Amino acid sequence: MKKFWALLLTMAMAVSVLTGCGESAQTQTDTAGNAEQAETGNADAGDNAAQAEAGENAQAEAAGLDMSNTVKIGILVSDATTAEALAFRTYYTDYIQKQYNVEMIYSDELTDAAGETSAIDTFITNNCKAVISFSSFDRAAQIEQCEGAGVYYAVATGTLTEEEYETYKGYEHYVGAIGPSLDVEFETGYNMAKHYLDQGKTNFAIFGGAIPYYTEMHIYRAAGMITAMVEAGGDGASYQGATAKEAIIGQIFADGEVKTGSVGNISILGYVGGYDMDDAWFGKCAQMAQTTGLEVILAVGNGSDFFGTAIAGTDVKIASVDAYASSYGEAMEAGMLDYLAGKFSASIGPIFIATYRAALGAPVRTAEGNALALSQGYWIAQNAEEFNAYYAVDSSVEAPAYTKELLDTLLTADYAAFEEFVGKYSFEEIQGM
Amino acid sequence: MEKTGWLKKIAGIAGIPLAAFFITTILCGVQGVKLFETEGNWILFFRAAASVMLTTFALSLNLNSGRFDFSIGSVALLSSVISASVCTAAGLPTPVMLLLSILSGALLGLVSGMVYVIVKLPPIIVSLGVALFYEGFAFSITKGYGVSFVANLELTSFPGVVNYLLVIVCGLLLFVFLFDYTKFGYDYKALLSGQKVAVNTGIGEIPNAVGCYTIAGALMGAVGFISATNTGTIQMALNFGSIGTMFTAFLPMFIGGFIGRFCNEKIGYLLGAVTTAFISLMYARLNVDASIQQIVTALILVGFLIYLNNENKIIELVMLKKYLKKRQI
Repeated sequence: MKKFWALLLTMAMAVSVLTGCGESAQTQTDTAGNAEQAETGNADAGDNAAQAEAGENAQAEAAGLDMSNTVKIGILVSDATTAEALAFRTYYTDYIQKQYNVEMIYSDELTDAAGETSAIDTFITNNCKAVISFSSFDRAAQIEQCEGAGVYYAVATGTLTEEEYETYKGYEHYVGAIGPSLDVEFETGYNMAKHYLDQGKTNFAIFGGAIPYYTEMHIYRAAGMITAMVEAGGDGASYQGATAKEAIIGQIFADGEVKTGSVGNISILGYVGGYDMDDAWFGKCAQMAQTTGLEVILAVGNGSDFFGTAIAGTDVKIASVDAYASSYGEAMEAGMLDYLAGKFSASIGPIFIATYRAALGAPVRTAEGNALALSQGYWIAQNAEEFNAYYAVDSSVEAPAYTKELLDTLLTADYAAFEEFVGKYSFEEIQGM
Repeated sequence: MEKTGWLKKIAGIAGIPLAAFFITTILCGVQGVKLFETEGNWILFFRAAASVMLTTFALSLNLNSGRFDFSIGSVALLSSVISASVCTAAGLPTPVMLLLSILSGALLGLVSGMVYVIVKLPPIIVSLGVALFYEGFAFSITKGYGVSFVANLELTSFPGVVNYLLVIVCGLLLFVFLFDYTKFGYDYKALLSGQKVAVNTGIGEIPNAVGCYTIAGALMGAVGFISATNTGTIQMALNFGSIGTMFTAFLPMFIGGFIGRFCNEKIGYLLGAVTTAFISLMYARLNVDASIQQIVTALILVGFLIYLNNENKIIELVMLKKYLKKRQI
């Protein structure tokens, strides 16, 4: 009897471990409408394929796209728990996968370049025709690996550096990148700071997120904020002696942090970077939020979750860059979040179509035959009403911002049309499509 | 002679935390910063002390018996997810959240203990499996988003010096009572000093082990509550991301073990937690970079372990020097 219980519990443990690994197994197939099920005759997957078949529109047929076979696409992720990552995943698995005859296979939450290589190997073994990457430990190695294996590769919510693009733009299997360029990241930080500078605010603190880890997008956002301060700081204003955009970016790269101090008439009263999440780090956050005279906390990432309780009952404003999650709506209602530059979940729709087309044999290329390099921006919510309007669309899995109807127009679009479509990323523009 | 003994005892008990206080105060002073300047600094200090003390109790409880428990962080995570989800959904007050956290932590600890005693695999393996399961479960029930109640001013009102002091006092008294004044505690000590003999005398090792896991779970439930109410958010952890919680307790546990030679070991753990709280506060006040924090903490831990392992040799060396000095005179 004891042996029976031991065996039973061992099995339960094994199942538990597998369940625990469910979101983190080396590759985890999302079940909704996946092609593996279709191949094994599963009814749901069959419905999925049927839906996809029914969804083939005249444009696709005219272009000769054969969408009858399930296309497996590997998704590389280095983040599985943030609001942004979860929103993206929901859009792919709960919407795209149900609308198109595709199977999305997600990687583990990757932590380094070796993990990326290993995950791509697993995708190739699983007969994936393409890889969409949200992970950027070593883009070059990913592209080379996919090119060597004849697997299409695309970058989601990011872009390559100019140097990288020049190197890889001609690769046959490099589909391209669609996402906020570093210039857009800079603009996002700039506009956020300017929003408050125009209101006459002069005392700021900056949450630097992944700046200590030299994450470019966070450095560019912070540089944008500081550049706006330099411009508003009056004659002779500078940040550590730097006044130009490039010099400020270089200074942050050199320091690995934002230095506190005066930028002309403007003050950076506090700075916290990293995501240590220990007692000392939370202490630093609370200390920064409660700095005497502080008016605004500019966060290059999520701000309200880390500083919201510390500023409760004060007039300090928090501005964040993140995604549209319900918790931010509550924070905005409660006055703990004042400004949100958020990525919308459907923003990864166009890169999916570009990748899908490549896998179906109809890639989108520039007039010179090069890969895509298109930039997108954020939806900016400055009050709860705006937030709720954006969130309602962004969180919908029935009618998201980019519906199948809209995305289908890209199945046959040439580069110019594709570029125009992606360029109209604001909420109003998309609603007007 | 008796006076010297008392002085030695007081020095042994208060030496390390006092040294930590003076060193951190001096280091802050050199930078022109006061260690304790605002109420927020006091809150951070007492929160760190309370949280680390409870974690140290939970870790030492099983580790002293040779059971390495990697799952305590995941118990804190899942118990706080359960209590926060229930309380935010039902609009329940902070004391209920604390109670729910402790109860769900105890239940999760009980499950962990039951799995260990029934499966009979090495505790390190079992605890890793349990940690993965609890992390995955927390992820699943929150759909990965964690729990956010930043805007819930009732639940985020807990942080305060008095509340954390109450947690410290109640936690310490309960722990001392349970392990120094109950049959369960006597059995635990008997099993520690000689398992075979204790079992032969009729002490149930299995119920005691399950009890230890349950108590450790309850303690971690309180830790999860402290952590969650600090910011009003619970971030998800996967792939053993919750294990880090356990490592915060190693230094205070070793310090507590040392101080325990001069007083009750539980008070030693508290003073170990106070020592690390001084260090955490100093890191925050001086805005010390995370990488430097890790290096400093590791050096302190390694240095302390080197001292403990070579204590006799160090004492002999000091005595020898004294002897030689005397002879020279």
